[in-house]
Parts: sequence; C-alpha cells; structure tokens
Amino acid sequence: MNHDLIVGMAGSGGDGVVSAGELLLTAAALEGYHGILTKSFGSQIRGGESSCRLRLSTRPVPSSGGTLDVAIALNWDDFLRFGTELQVGGRTTVIYESATGVAPDRLPLVGVVPAEALAVPITELARKAAGTDWAKSAVVLGLVSGWTGLGRDALAGALRRKHAKKGEAVMAANARAFAAGLDYAAAYPLRTRRALAPAPEGQGVKLLADGNEMCAAAALHAGCQFFSGYPITPSSEIMHFLSREIWKHGGTMLQAEDEIAGVGAAVGASFAGRKAMTATSGPGMSLKTEMLGLATIAELPLVCVNVQRGGPSTGMPTKSEQADLFQAIFSAHGDAPRPVLAPTSVADTFAVTVEAFAMAEGYQTPVIVLSDQEIAQRKETVEPFDVSRFQVVERRRPTEFELRDYQRFRVTDSGVSPISQPGMAGGSYLASGIEHNEAGAPTASGEVHARMNEKRLRKLEPLKERRDLFGVEGDPTAPLALVSWGSTAGVAHEALRLAEAEGLRVKLLVPSLLFPVAEAVYRDFLASVQAGFVVEQSYQGQLYRVLRMYVDVPRGVRSFARSGANPISPAELVDALRRTAQDLQRHQMPEMEPRE
Amino acid sequence: MSDVAMAVRPRTAGDYKSDLKPIWCPGCGDYGVVQAVYRALAAIGRPSHEIAFVSGIGCSSRIPGYTTAYGFNTVHGRALPIAQGIKLANPDLLVLVAGGDGDGFSIGGGHVAHAVRRNVDLTYIVMDNQIYGLTKGQLSPTSASGRHTASSPFGALEAPVNPLLYVLAYGAGFVAQGTPADMAGLASVIEAGIRYPGFAFVNVQSPCVTFGDPEWQLRQHKAALETLDSLDHDPGDRLKAMALAQEYGTKLYTGVFYRDPEPPPTYEAGVHERHAALRPQAPPRDRILEAFRPRRDGEGGDEEARS
Repeated sequence: MNHDLIVGMAGSGGDGVVSAGELLLTAAALEGYHGILTKSFGSQIRGGESSCRLRLSTRPVPSSGGTLDVAIALNWDDFLRFGTELQVGGRTTVIYESATGVAPDRLPLVGVVPAEALAVPITELARKAAGTDWAKSAVVLGLVSGWTGLGRDALAGALRRKHAKKGEAVMAANARAFAAGLDYAAAYPLRTRRALAPAPEGQGVKLLADGNEMCAAAALHAGCQFFSGYPITPSSEIMHFLSREIWKHGGTMLQAEDEIAGVGAAVGASFAGRKAMTATSGPGMSLKTEMLGLATIAELPLVCVNVQRGGPSTGMPTKSEQADLFQAIFSAHGDAPRPVLAPTSVADTFAVTVEAFAMAEGYQTPVIVLSDQEIAQRKETVEPFDVSRFQVVERRRPTEFELRDYQRFRVTDSGVSPISQPGMAGGSYLASGIEHNEAGAPTASGEVHARMNEKRLRKLEPLKERRDLFGVEGDPTAPLALVSWGSTAGVAHEALRLAEAEGLRVKLLVPSLLFPVAEAVYRDFLASVQAGFVVEQSYQGQLYRVLRMYVDVPRGVRSFARSGANPISPAELVDALRRTAQDLQRHQMPEMEPRE
Repeated sequence: MSDVAMAVRPRTAGDYKSDLKPIWCPGCGDYGVVQAVYRALAAIGRPSHEIAFVSGIGCSSRIPGYTTAYGFNTVHGRALPIAQGIKLANPDLLVLVAGGDGDGFSIGGGHVAHAVRRNVDLTYIVMDNQIYGLTKGQLSPTSASGRHTASSPFGALEAPVNPLLYVLAYGAGFVAQGTPADMAGLASVIEAGIRYPGFAFVNVQSPCVTFGDPEWQLRQHKAALETLDSLDHDPGDRLKAMALAQEYGTKLYTGVFYRDPEPPPTYEAGVHERHAALRPQAPPRDRILEAFRPRRDGEGGDEEARS
C-alpha cells in the first residue's frame, strides 16, 4: 500500500489529461485524501501539448514532489516536452498508448529504465466503449482508479457531474469508457504495486482551491471592497473570482485599460476610504511601480499581488519563478521599500493575503503579496478552517477631537497618522506624490523631507518583531539549516523531513515576511548554524542576497538557487545537506570543537 | 439623478479657496481657472468635504491644493484612473479631475478614451496651454506644427492633437470649452459639466505667459473668442459639434459643443443595480470558503456554472 503517490500525465490538448487530473483530485478530496494538482501547458491557447502531475497522499503534502511513481503518456512527443516537470526514474511505472507503436523495452527515455512499462490500447478502448476519442480521459480515469483503488464511485460521480450538461448519452458513453478502463486494469494488474492506502479514519471532505482563488476569497474576508486590474497570466483567476463574488459583498471591480490604471483606480478607491487590491504578474508589476511609490508617499493602504512567472520581460508566462523579490522590495525610486509577504501554499495564501490587508490598513502603506505561478495555479486540497481566526484590521481614522486641528501626516510616535477620507467633515487635506509637510502642503524643504522619510520608514519597524510570520521547524540547535520561501518552501519542508529521517541535524526557516528583514529572527535562527542553503527558484538567489544585506549570514550558508521552470526536488536538497554534513565533519570548523 | 444639484446652503466662491497661495507665474491663465472653479462650486453648493479634486502633474495640476476640497495631486498622466477609483468607491462624492494638455493627451492619453467609455460621473478640466511649462518650455501634444520650443528649436515636425474632437469621437456625453478671458462663461461651462450626469470634458484655453505663444494670450483670446451661443449652435447635435471642434487651433469657440440630450447610465449606476441584484446572494462571512467545497454527483452548487 502506498501512502503517497505521484501520477504524471501528458498528451495533446484534446486528450483531456488535465481534466482527468482534476477529476482524480476531486474524487480524492471527497474521500479525504490530501493532494496537489499542477498543470502545465504549451503556450498555445487551444490544442498543443498539456500535462498535469497529481500527488495524492494520506498525509498533508507540502509540495508537488519529485520523480513520478506513475507516468502516463498519451503520446511520446507531448510527454517528452515536459521533461523537467514529469521526471521518470528507475522506480516509475510507465503506462502509455499502445498505438504509439513503441515497444516497452524501447521507450524514448534517456538514461533511465523504468520499473515497469505497459502499453495500453487507450484510444481503442475509448472507441469501442464510447465510440469516440473524446472518451480517452475517461479510460485513463478507469485505469488509474483500477490500479490505485482510488474511489470508483466518487470518480464515476465526478465524471457524471462533469458531463451533466452534455446530456444522458454523453454521460453514459463516458461511464462505459470509465468501466472499460477499470476492466482493463483488473485484467492486467501491475507488477509494481500502486494501490493507495485508504485515507485515515475521520478524514472529512477537503476543500479544493488554487492559490489565486484563495487569495481572492481572503481579500473578501479581509473586507476588500474594490478590485481593479488588467488581465495577465498567471494572475487573472484572482480577477475572475472577484468579478463573480465582490458584488455580493457590496464591493466594486473594474477591468482597467492597462496595468497603470489598474493600480491607479485601486489607489483612488483607497484614498476614498475603501480597502483596495490589484493583482498582476511581472510585466504588470513593472508598470505599476510608479503608482506604488505614490501610495508610499501619500501613505495610502494598498494590497498589490504579484503572481511571479518566469522573467524578465514576457519571459515564461506559464512557468513559475521567484525572481521578482528585488523588484518587490526595491523597485520604487526614492527611499520607499514596502512590506513584502509570500505565501507557501494554497491554504497559506489565505493567511498571507489577510495579513497583507492588515498591514496595509494598519501601517498605511502598499503591501506586496509575492505569490508564484506554482501556488497560484495549482489545485490543492485544503483542510477546512475557521476563517474568523484571521483578524481583520481597519485603518486608524481620526477622532472628532483630532479633526478639530487635523493634520493628515502628523508625525506620531508610531509614525502612523490618523487617516481621513473624502466625505469626512473637517478632514480635508491634499494627498500628494510631491513631498509634503504634516498638514499636507507641498514642500521642497530638506528638513521636512528627511523627517517625513523617517516617519514613513519608522512606522514599518514593528514589523521586524513579527515572529509569527516565520515558520521554524526541526532541531533548534542544528548546525545545518535551510531557509526557503514561496512555493519552494514546501520542497524544503519535505527535504527537512527526509533529512531528519536519515539522522541529519537540520532545521528550516520559512519567512512569510520577506521585507522588512526581521534581523533578530534570522540572528536567533542562525546562531547554531554552520552551514546550509537558502533555497529558491531564481538565478541570482535573491532572498540569499537580500539576507546578506541585512544579516550576518554564516559563511557556510550558501545559495541553492535555480532559474524558474526547473523545479527543485526534495531529494536533491537532501543530497546537498548530506554532502554538507560530511564536509562539516571532515573539516571540523573551529566553531564545532567542543566548548568548555 | 445627480445629487450634486442638491444645494445645502448658499455658498460663496470664498468657501472653496484654501490658504495655500498659488505659485503660478504672474498673469498665468490658471489663476482664472481656479477662480472659475470656485464660482462653479459655489453655484453647485456642495460642502467642500464632499468634493474630491484629483490632478496629475504639471503647473495646472497644482490646482486641487488651492481649494478646500479633498485634493489628490497624483502622478503624471494618471489622474483619470485614480479619480474613477474614488468615484466608484464612494459615488456620493463630487469628483473633479484637472490637468494639463500633456497630462491628458500625451503621457495619460490612453486613459481618456476609457474614462469616456466607462462614463463614470466625473468632470475633467484640461488646462490646455500648448506647452510644457513646468519643465520649462518643451513641445506639448497640442503645440502647433512648426512651433519653436526648447525641445523643437527648428520647429515641431508633428501635428497637434485636437482634444475636443478626440473626446467627442470617444463618445463623451458632455464636451465644452472655455477661457479665463471670459470668466463668467468659463465658470458656467464648468458648472454645466459638473451638473451633467456622466463623464464631462471641459477644455480650457489657458495661456502660458512664460513659455507661451505670444499670439495666444488672454488679450488675444478676448478679441478672438466666439461663443457657441452666438452661433446658435444646438448642443444636442453631435455631428455639428464635431464640425465646430475641427476648428480647434484656428478658432476659439467657447461654450458647450455637445451635451447628450439623453445621458446614458453611468458606470456607478450599473454598479448600484448589480449590488441590488447580487447582495442577497452573499454568503455569510464565516462561510466564505464554501465556494471551494467539492460537490458530489447530484449535489447542488454552482460548480458547473463556473466551469
């Protein structure tokens, strides 16, 4: 029995492998399994190659995992296009379309012989059972259900539900194709056992969402009343969700004419007193930069989501990368860094987005939510949780007393000044991108500029004490460490568990708050550390570089970074940790000698 | 429909004047524009805290600070998107937008068409001086072809844009022009723009005394202007309005070129209707994640509707 199973499928657009993956995940969620589904496409809008990888487990899954347990190729050309995402290893079971004419001992895989290879007449089964090639995905579902034991009732139901609108005939044809797959699996059992252990008792139905939808739902929970943005891959699902839902909550959305107007309207709505959000990806982020500086100097709350994709420029719109950290923190001209938060999973996207609104409103600043394509577009099971745990913060509005001699930008102890809004009698002021004094009047005084810069940066200082925005795991005295963020943190988490199981003394730090850099948190974490890695998906290793700016990072801690669309696997991190542990023993650094 | 018409108590132009002293050059046309705005606002009578006055960057964009309204002096060219966000966030506000010809028809030119087509109830005042004054005298999008400026020492090679014709062609429901040379006329077109229930555009020929064309100053305006009223122009006739707008740059017509006799619904009116229809469907706050619960076969839910 397997407690953890990774299935990868690829085919051409019409083969329906992605929809098969979605149905498998839905059935798994209904049965109480944990799972993650990632989809990957060529850049064509219709047709072209498409693939998905589905990880199912009886335990929570922090990442989409590494090498496949089961690979399913509807044709080899398309399968091989996803080489980095669908890795076949020596323990993989390979199922493929027999019409490809490839012999099981002649698979077009370089440098690897899988544990088992089985050619299945998938198309022929679909034609015989349903009379159409469109039923291939139903056959695949039957095969997977038959070999893994994943709930055939739930799958049959999910399949019916999917085709309900197409009428009884289509539903029946798909049901026959599904049954054909089941029968085939029963007639040809696998040598490699792929049966999935039953979900533990008492596991209720899991929720299913992707990071973008979760971000949008969190915004509604936080009280977001205004969204404006411009369509861009891979963030558009945030706009899609809110364009259906925000009206129900009394909010308004606007599809802007461009990225600048998208953030601009949100800045305007915030000035008018509403919680406002915009969402985009790299190229849009570049365009929004000037407006973020305006929100900083005008001290207006704003949540700006950047779902990172491969860059620079158009880069790789459908692939994940974590190379926008420098931009998120530093892209404004002037002294205007802003808080940056990054979610590590679909569920975590809820917490991080609500926190972003709390920070934006509480500190009157733009806040960047730095998601990435992997989290944003993967479907994940989420244990139902109580949303009221996530506190909603309102901006500090002036009291009647404060309105008597109101100064919008009054320098307070905290640096946060009570904020009025149009419609509030006595609160009129001039908001501006030009430097201004406490009353809001434009100024070119160096003295005032220095004082206002100090105010705007000082107000963010308390964020550095937010230890709750960091996840720390593992042996607190470990000499080996991993630091990771965003979707890569799940991989690091998994590597930590594997390394611990090998007896390595490792710990892991995962910041949700990337900026301001909480220097004390890193200092405490790194106190016992002699070596380790900052793990991230970028060429430059941007978090590593940022940490080196603010923190005394031990020399043994290095960057483990790689360009996007080249996923890092837990196994290779464990290899690196193992080698590092061996190096530490060989070279016995002075710090490792026993102390008096 | 437009609640801006509801005067609370008689107000004077002085009620809208702030303590901030304008820093425009002596003799600048913008002094006249801000006076006309005070007068128009007094005629409307809304208290100043219910007014949001948004601008971009440029000499003219300093104007919100000289009023007692909630002002927002934003970034170059982006006043319109920000103003739309303000109005949609709080439709009860009276929202004015101002900027120069560079702000509106060069760096921010892309936003005008969309502000018009969304028809958010804003009044957009462009102080058109055919020059970049704040940066000391470069070519602007409305500078005449051949004009010599700091950035076109041998004469401009490009033709100017025609703001009136652009905005009419975009489909705006209200298009007018004024000049500080006729203060009463200017105040009256701004007031009419505010009263129009939808996007209103007022182009103001506001001469630059420092870098401006000597042939195009207030004294000349006074002599050259022709009111559209005097031509018996019917402001309900859009084609006629476009024909008259063609004369931009050669003739100085003032007054209302076009006012849609049947103003179409505003964006915010659509929002209001949508709220009325959809708010009853709002899930309770603590059940916001219900949207993500997978449904079994035969169970209700909007899953299919979404896929």
